[in-house]
Amino acid sequence: MNLYSIALNNLLRRKARMLLILCGLVAGITAAVALFMIVESMRLSLGNQIDEFGANLIIVPRSEGMEISYGNTQISRVSIDYEQLVEADLQKITEIPDYNSINVVSPKMVASVKAGDKEALLVGIEPRQEFIMKPWFSLGDHAGLTTGDRPVDLALIELPEDSLIIGSEAARALGLGVGEIVQINGASFKISGVLNPLGSVEDGLLFGNLTAVQTLLGRPGEISMIEISAYCNACPVEEIAAQLSAALPNGRVTALRQAALLREETIDRFSAFSILLAVIFLSVAALLVLTTMMAAVHERTREIGIFRALGFRSSHVMQIIFMEAGLIGLLGGLFGYITGSLAARSVGPYLTGISSPIFWQADLLLPAVILSALIAVTAAAYPALRAAKLDPVEALRFI
Amino acid sequence: MPDLLINLDNITKTYNSAGVSVAALRGISLDILRGQAVAVMGQSGSGKSTLLSVIGGLNPPTEGKILIDDIDLYGLSRERRADFRREYLGFVFQQFQLIPYLTALENVLLPLTTTRYPGRQKREMAMQALQRVKMDQKQGRLPNQLSGGEQERVAIARAVVNEPPLILADEPTGSLDTKTALEIMELFSSLNEAGLTILMVTHNPDNTAYMNRTITMQDGSLFEESKTATAPKQRAAAFCGGSGQLL
Repeated sequence: MNLYSIALNNLLRRKARMLLILCGLVAGITAAVALFMIVESMRLSLGNQIDEFGANLIIVPRSEGMEISYGNTQISRVSIDYEQLVEADLQKITEIPDYNSINVVSPKMVASVKAGDKEALLVGIEPRQEFIMKPWFSLGDHAGLTTGDRPVDLALIELPEDSLIIGSEAARALGLGVGEIVQINGASFKISGVLNPLGSVEDGLLFGNLTAVQTLLGRPGEISMIEISAYCNACPVEEIAAQLSAALPNGRVTALRQAALLREETIDRFSAFSILLAVIFLSVAALLVLTTMMAAVHERTREIGIFRALGFRSSHVMQIIFMEAGLIGLLGGLFGYITGSLAARSVGPYLTGISSPIFWQADLLLPAVILSALIAVTAAAYPALRAAKLDPVEALRFI
Repeated sequence: MPDLLINLDNITKTYNSAGVSVAALRGISLDILRGQAVAVMGQSGSGKSTLLSVIGGLNPPTEGKILIDDIDLYGLSRERRADFRREYLGFVFQQFQLIPYLTALENVLLPLTTTRYPGRQKREMAMQALQRVKMDQKQGRLPNQLSGGEQERVAIARAVVNEPPLILADEPTGSLDTKTALEIMELFSSLNEAGLTILMVTHNPDNTAYMNRTITMQDGSLFEESKTATAPKQRAAAFCGGSGQLL
């Protein structure tokens, strides 16, 4: 017989009250766990989607002087003094500590050329890397790049060295179509495909094989820029940028923060909203514990008076109340974790439209149990204090 | 020299309610020797329950000093007074006041809960106390599975389990039938014969026959004091029409 067994006996005796508090805590913890799991899942899912949505790191030669642009990126070309990027630099990228976080490395040679009698921007690419990085590219029309009726998967094509894939706007401006031949700086290239309109700068570009473009321009092994797509759910993109800068002193590394910021901002909003909801649920649970424990203390005035008369200190009475709250809290945390996980797994995908499954997070169990117990004990503090301060004589008059 | 256990020196207790002062105890001075069985009689509102709570360390007097075993009771802090109650006092309340969700044994164990005795020793002490009141066979029963007399016995076992020198009893037979009340009073008498000091508040004049001292209160003051000289069994015979059969 000890204080713990008194607390346990009382809980077992007042099952309805215990269940009421338990339900409140379970509801609060369920909401918190479910929201946390859903938000984490969204963070991963959204992060992956955004990370896959093109490059988030650009490396260009470190240079002084005039520059031309490709999209939002400055491409050094006309310069007074600049250091070049070369294909050997690609090897250095593989040696950075966070290379595992890098998904795609797409080197490019960009140059202004004469296409027929018009100026155009020619981009030499490694087709697989480029099209894996930019999965939204699709061919509207093509020739010799596929067999049968299957749509061409750009990420799988082998682009012949004498072939080009051109943007829809370039095709219109140059008056070129699939299968036609275009003279670029005196060399003949066949138009193997025309991209569907993208609404971006790529609509006006000509894409050729990197090696062929380097040869055409008389700059073998040289690279104008390197686009990198990094999975950064587990690492800050700035950290990878720093590692790349250290590995490539001849390059200027720019982290495209828009994507990262957009992702962070979106997820932060989800997180803030879910935290707010969880706090509301947990506050309601705490309030329920508080009011129920207050009622319990009032109901047990006589009992507390007897305890005090029999030599229990105020601290002993408080311990009993805290133990009761703590025990319910532990149970609430356990059940809340289970129901929260089930709720997240069952309704989470419907609520959020996430296609990827939500996995059990065993590492949430301990925090859930501790949080629940902490809320219960904190909410029981005032009732416990009231119980401890009960005047034994007043309590015994209750008899 | 008599062995003084309780010394009340000019105890006054005044309650203030809605600006009105009510004197529950008016300058009471009283000595109780170790081993005495004292009945406190008086009408409702005479102050006898207040006197009991003041001596029990539950209700600080407005004025005056109480020494129990030479310890200034209200010179102790609130928490130390709780320790004092656990060590020195055994309470028997009106209506038994057992904790309903604890078994008879667990109820008896309550005063030992916060002591440092090993668990096994606590259990042995509780079982001995239950044997003393002949309730050891019903140790596992909850209060609602016991009769009124049995509950009273468990309450007495709870009061004596930590072997305190002083038992304070508030109307212990108030809710019992005559036969059961006699049994309980006989039990108190045997405890007193075993050396325990008993201070009992009672309305029932018959109970005073089991005490060796009776004080009567009126309007918060000691009104009258008498001593009983007869032996308990003779007194019992008087209650049982001369048969002397109590049980």
